[in-house]
Amino acid sequence: MTIDIWWRIGMAGDPSSLRTAHRQSRGDWAPPGPDSITPGTRDGEPDGYGLLDYLVETARAAEGLGFHGGLLPSFPGTDDPWAVASALARATKTYKFMIAFQPGFLSPVQAARMTASLHRASAGRVAYNIITGGGGPPQLWWGDKVAHDDRYARTSEFLDVLRGVWDGGPFDFDGRFYRVRGGGLPGPLAGLPFPEVFFSGSSPAAIEAAGRHADYYLSWLEPLDALRAKFDAVRARSAAPKFAVRVDILARETAEEAWAEIERGWRHVRPEDVRAQLSRDGGDSFGVRRAVGFQPESFTGFRDFEVEPGVFAGLALMRPGPAFGLVGSYEQVAERLDQLIDLGVGALILAGGPHLEEAYRVAEGVLPLLRGRLGDRGPVTLSA
Amino acid sequence: MSAPRLIWTIPTRGDGKANRGWDPAPALPPSIRDGRIGGPAFTPFDYLHQISRAAELGGLGGVYVPYDPAGEESLVVSGSLGRDSRYLEVIAGFPAGIATPVYAAKVSATLQRAFGGRLSWRLEVDLDERVQRAQGDFVTGADRYARAAEFLTVAKAVWHGQDVDFTGRFYEVVKGGFAGPLAGLPFPTVYLSGTSDEALALSAEHADVHVFDLAPDGDLNQGELDHYVSRLGGRPRLALQASVHAREEAAELTGSAGLHGTYEQVADQIRAYGERGFDTFFLSADPRLEEALRIAQHVRPLLAGRA
Repeated sequence: MTIDIWWRIGMAGDPSSLRTAHRQSRGDWAPPGPDSITPGTRDGEPDGYGLLDYLVETARAAEGLGFHGGLLPSFPGTDDPWAVASALARATKTYKFMIAFQPGFLSPVQAARMTASLHRASAGRVAYNIITGGGGPPQLWWGDKVAHDDRYARTSEFLDVLRGVWDGGPFDFDGRFYRVRGGGLPGPLAGLPFPEVFFSGSSPAAIEAAGRHADYYLSWLEPLDALRAKFDAVRARSAAPKFAVRVDILARETAEEAWAEIERGWRHVRPEDVRAQLSRDGGDSFGVRRAVGFQPESFTGFRDFEVEPGVFAGLALMRPGPAFGLVGSYEQVAERLDQLIDLGVGALILAGGPHLEEAYRVAEGVLPLLRGRLGDRGPVTLSA
Repeated sequence: MSAPRLIWTIPTRGDGKANRGWDPAPALPPSIRDGRIGGPAFTPFDYLHQISRAAELGGLGGVYVPYDPAGEESLVVSGSLGRDSRYLEVIAGFPAGIATPVYAAKVSATLQRAFGGRLSWRLEVDLDERVQRAQGDFVTGADRYARAAEFLTVAKAVWHGQDVDFTGRFYEVVKGGFAGPLAGLPFPTVYLSGTSDEALALSAEHADVHVFDLAPDGDLNQGELDHYVSRLGGRPRLALQASVHAREEAAELTGSAGLHGTYEQVADQIRAYGERGFDTFFLSADPRLEEALRIAQHVRPLLAGRA
């Protein structure tokens, strides 16, 4: 069985490296400066380019290198993935769009219509990263006040409705959150292949819902034993879906070079931010609370965040994005990815910054070293 | 002194350890489902476009597509890159032997229409004669400069004029000249190079810009440079061609050819050549994509907007 490898896209732009990770100099989410590109300046005037032009370059790099597609994350501080995907659809050929969204933010019928039109614009290249948990102030920034476990019930209804109208209807639905009468996608929008569903969430409610709706149960990178236990819990509660993991990567020819890059980036990390990171509780997000649990208990230097060999939990202190990543030589990182694949992972969502250059680095340096699943490597003799 | 103009060199035979832009992108191991399967074929051109887009988005002045008989054809690459940019000057390198001057001008007029007047010519004269013969070109020695002069004379004549009659040693034209939409376009900026007497004389007559090479081991001798520049007659602008190796910290530097040093040091070197009269810099570093972005984001800002 083959693995699908995705490459994240920087929905709020990118810093030029971890050394300047505090400054997203590509894109307009940071204040403009002389080092800015998209938008940049020519002769002192704005050059008319924008973040989308940079995202197009990243997407084209990823698809030319053979990545399956890209995860388009969604946060209050990013552009919107539906809109970006519709623009990227015409600028790419095989790149698939894994659109991150929370069901509470739009009606399921509208989501079905948007997806079907985007499928038509892109010849069927849409996938979903459905996020349900989260919580606390970010959830209210979006105007969503439904409680954590109720949000999973809502996600289930949302997907029931989305699937109900997908093939054309007429479809009626009466639920706690949604009502539909005579719904159904019109004409050529109806009956397209349903997008692959990547379902995130670490709580029991999430795992329950994933069993019903997910093609892939998607997790952040965690220490290997923790991931194994998490996947076992998912398998125990549901007809096992496939597994996917999001993995940030900082790989270089040698491990020394990779850690030197972390060391340089760490020079910009403020001690008070380290203390805040170590003392936060994660709100009502299970996933963040889990991540907090893997952090070092004491702190003497950045290597304390290497929670197991090659697994670094300090990335969020250096740049926006997930806390966990793999750091090491190409061989070491490939070895770690193979271990994930051996856990049963069928899709990897890789990332590294800047997403444009690192797409080439990972595709040329790391991916050729992947061996793939244990069972695909010929007979394996196990001793009791 | 206005900001120097940085021209980035396109690799017409690929670069990097995967030889991007020349060989097809490598196949993935069998354990990975290749995302490209089922879609239109990806071509090495896609990588050349990534480089020129990096130059465009990064605010560089232009791209140079060298003449390379063993690489991609430079006018075709130029046409493709020019359409994919709004600002870049696209400098196509080629020798006079590839076509008649009328035909080269005709192709170029269409390219000028295609990208709004951003095409330039870098006419290569001093090529290896074995390479030339393999391309079917048997003009040798100083005759190549005489031919280049005629080539430019004829090309400019038919570009700007009507009923052009010309009879020379190499070319003959009767009632030539472009009409309709092909007329009235800006003639490509002409870049020439070389330090022989013939090369300098050709530039004095025809070049808009004369390109000097930075010797791999270092500096341009000021005395020799003054001598060469005096032979150019004062009209052509001066450009410098060099490889560039720039890193944030001195400890990260490897190798010492061309312009090299920390970002600040490389900017200082470029500025110093600027004070010696150079306003345009043909730069290259591998891999071209990553290094174009590096120069654009870390060196260019140090050179921008200095009065």
